[in-house]
Amino acid sequence: MEYLVVFLVLVVFLQTRITNLKRAVVCLAGQSFIIAIACFFLGLSNGEGIHALLPGILTLLVKVLFIPGAIYHLVGKLKNEREILSASNVNYSTMAAAFFLVWGYFIVEKLMPGSVGRDIIAASILMIMTGLALMVLRKRAIIQIVGLITLENGIYLLGLLMTEGLPLVVELGVFLDVLIAVVVLVILTSRMRLSFMTTDTSVMKKLKG
Amino acid sequence: MDFIVISLLIYLLGTVTIVWPKNAELIAHYLGMLCAVVASGMVTYASAAYLLNPVDEWLVEGVWGSYSIQADAWSAAFLLLTGVAGVIISIYAMGYGKTYLGNRIRLLGGLWNLFLLSMVTVLIAGDAFTFIVFWEIMALVSFLLVNHEADKKKTVSASYQYMVMTHIGTAAIMVAFYMVGSCSESFSFTDMSGNTLSGYMKDIAFICAFLGFALKSGLMPLHIWLPNAHPAAPSHVSAMMSGVMLKVALYGFGRFAFQFIGMDIFWHGFVVMVVGLISAFLGILYASMETDMKRILAYSSVENMGIIFSAFGCGMLLYSMQLTSVSVIAFTAALVHACSHSLMKGLMFMSAGAVKHALGSKNIELMGGLAKKMPYTALFTLIGSMSLASLPFTSGLVGEWLTLQSFITLAQQAGTPEMRLLVVFAFIMLGLTGATALGCFVRMYGVAFLGRARTGIVKKAHEVSGFMLFGMGLEAVLIVVIGVMPDILVNMMQGVFSRFSVVSMGTPMGIIWGGSGQYAIYSPGIIFGIFVIFSIFMVAALYRSSNFVYKDVTWNCGTEPTSRQQYSATGFSKPLRRTFEKILSPKRRMTYLRKEHAYFGRKLQYNLEIPDLFNDKLYKPVQQMMINSSSAFHKIQEGSVSIYIGYTMIAMIFVLIWGVLL
Repeated sequence: MEYLVVFLVLVVFLQTRITNLKRAVVCLAGQSFIIAIACFFLGLSNGEGIHALLPGILTLLVKVLFIPGAIYHLVGKLKNEREILSASNVNYSTMAAAFFLVWGYFIVEKLMPGSVGRDIIAASILMIMTGLALMVLRKRAIIQIVGLITLENGIYLLGLLMTEGLPLVVELGVFLDVLIAVVVLVILTSRMRLSFMTTDTSVMKKLKG
Repeated sequence: MDFIVISLLIYLLGTVTIVWPKNAELIAHYLGMLCAVVASGMVTYASAAYLLNPVDEWLVEGVWGSYSIQADAWSAAFLLLTGVAGVIISIYAMGYGKTYLGNRIRLLGGLWNLFLLSMVTVLIAGDAFTFIVFWEIMALVSFLLVNHEADKKKTVSASYQYMVMTHIGTAAIMVAFYMVGSCSESFSFTDMSGNTLSGYMKDIAFICAFLGFALKSGLMPLHIWLPNAHPAAPSHVSAMMSGVMLKVALYGFGRFAFQFIGMDIFWHGFVVMVVGLISAFLGILYASMETDMKRILAYSSVENMGIIFSAFGCGMLLYSMQLTSVSVIAFTAALVHACSHSLMKGLMFMSAGAVKHALGSKNIELMGGLAKKMPYTALFTLIGSMSLASLPFTSGLVGEWLTLQSFITLAQQAGTPEMRLLVVFAFIMLGLTGATALGCFVRMYGVAFLGRARTGIVKKAHEVSGFMLFGMGLEAVLIVVIGVMPDILVNMMQGVFSRFSVVSMGTPMGIIWGGSGQYAIYSPGIIFGIFVIFSIFMVAALYRSSNFVYKDVTWNCGTEPTSRQQYSATGFSKPLRRTFEKILSPKRRMTYLRKEHAYFGRKLQYNLEIPDLFNDKLYKPVQQMMINSSSAFHKIQEGSVSIYIGYTMIAMIFVLIWGVLL
């Protein structure tokens, strides 16, 4: 489990450094894959049967295969699209992530001293906040979607650990939610590409009345 | 019980005429109004029977889930008023509504029923939830009715202003209900009357309730919507709004004062009384300045609601000084004047509607000599005007007389110099109000109905249809009957307080109506007798054979009298405008259009505008403040998604830091 956390933190930090869209999506798939393994791990340690495996299988299907696949497909259509930003922005994201990592451990120590899943909680706080930071700091729509899914993964991981297995209905609901959100976002992004010839969200300001 | 519930169902049936087939619109209109007449008749019958027969405890009682209805004597008094107005104005509307043929007439008829339904249900509501829900329906439906002629720009702005104002009022009422309800077992009125509200919370609840209900009844700083909404609405709607809806607000306020908050705090009553008096005077002062018939009547509603609230406040003062049995006089005064105002304002709005129907205008400066063209309307308007000016033999006097009596009682019974000073102030205000009201309605009636025609539109004027005349006639007859025989109404309304279960008023020894007794003496019989004897002498003197009659135009220094030499409405109110220049601050502008000759034949344009005092001093600054603050908020709301997510992030970081450090 500790190794998973190390990998997760590594992937999240990597995500803040990547500017190439395709690599970002691959990185996201990797991150989701680690979450899926964590799901299997936690599920099998807490229960057995279909319910123990279902979160992991769903994560694999939805977050590792479908969502990154859809975004990857979209990215393939985008020409000349890169996260063209100065290095300072990327550095800001990384610094923010570092701050959130320290802050996450600090929170765990303060609020739940000596809890078992200390590292996982800290990692999920890191993911939630870094996802938000990606959405705020980056301009490209694809990276913002990646940020959203990172945030979502963090929340899911935290929920999984805290509740030791959510009710089945809630789990299905969460996945449906993410799925629909991503489908809508992908459609919107491709519409945006058609209308504005770019996926830079700052051009959306033109729409303001 | 059954009658009221059945009447609600009939109102509902009337509402359904909205979906009547479009090719039979007129039938839908008649059916809708018929439903309203029948249902209102049943409401009238049930409430009158309940008031006259002091056996039953509740007029109507029932519970459906979280909704409940419960009507005591205080409700019944207002139900009576609503029923009477509902019957008469609906009959009138059968004729008047026809002008809206092809102009969403089905909607008008259906909403009319829904409006009546909501008012009746507010009056019989047994818990705060039902009250608020139907109060809100009442507000929305009246908004839609005011907005009926939505193709006129002025109507739309007036109705939206009304909507905004009435929602501020509803918000205040909800706060008041919530404060009282949170200190009692449940939100039903019976439980709420045993609430444990105390200290300054009670004061806040009182302020909220007074604010909300005063706004709905158009007391002075909050009246701003009233003179705009009434002229915009169809006439029968303004008649109903002014005649009944404003009283529903009094009902609600009474519910709070009697049952929830109590009347043991002195300054509550004092505030109500003083606000009422100021509204009464300023209302009629502004009414005297207007030239739009319906605006005059709207401001006169402000005046009359002011009188009603001042009587109510006087009663609260008396009650807070433990003079419970004499406080009945004041509360009776408020109720009686509410009833008679409902009658006379209904009549006057109906005749304003008739005049508008006949002439197509509401501006009295364009009228003149209407009495010859519309003799019956003129007669009924005369009765209504006399009543609003509170002349003898009309119901208007009865209420005002009782109000004066209650003030006298306050001075007499309280006995302290401070109270006497207050009563002196009240007398001055009420005296000024009465005199100005007389002037105002002499002006309105004289300019519109007497004299010569001022413009060509009077020539095509005609008497209105039978339904409309019948409606107005009924009201006029009622006004005169109550004026001549006030005992019935006064005793009925006084009976309300002896049957009150929540507040014990004691035996109302006060009013022995009809000429003898300790307080509140008014004998129309004696006055009528003197009047008759005096008239006989006058007639005898005038028709003696030695008198000669010579009919000709008035001598006018040799020139031919034209209609332009008559007193105009603006000219008539000039002395008043000069006297109260400080309050009214009229804006005059004179422009010479043409100057062909140095001394003769110069054409000039005279613009006179009387801005509403509170509009400029109170509402404009508030409006400006709100615009400024919204543009400040606009800076936060930039329109960039990233920044919005950034706000979320900052909030999360803040929560996490707060959670750890504290």
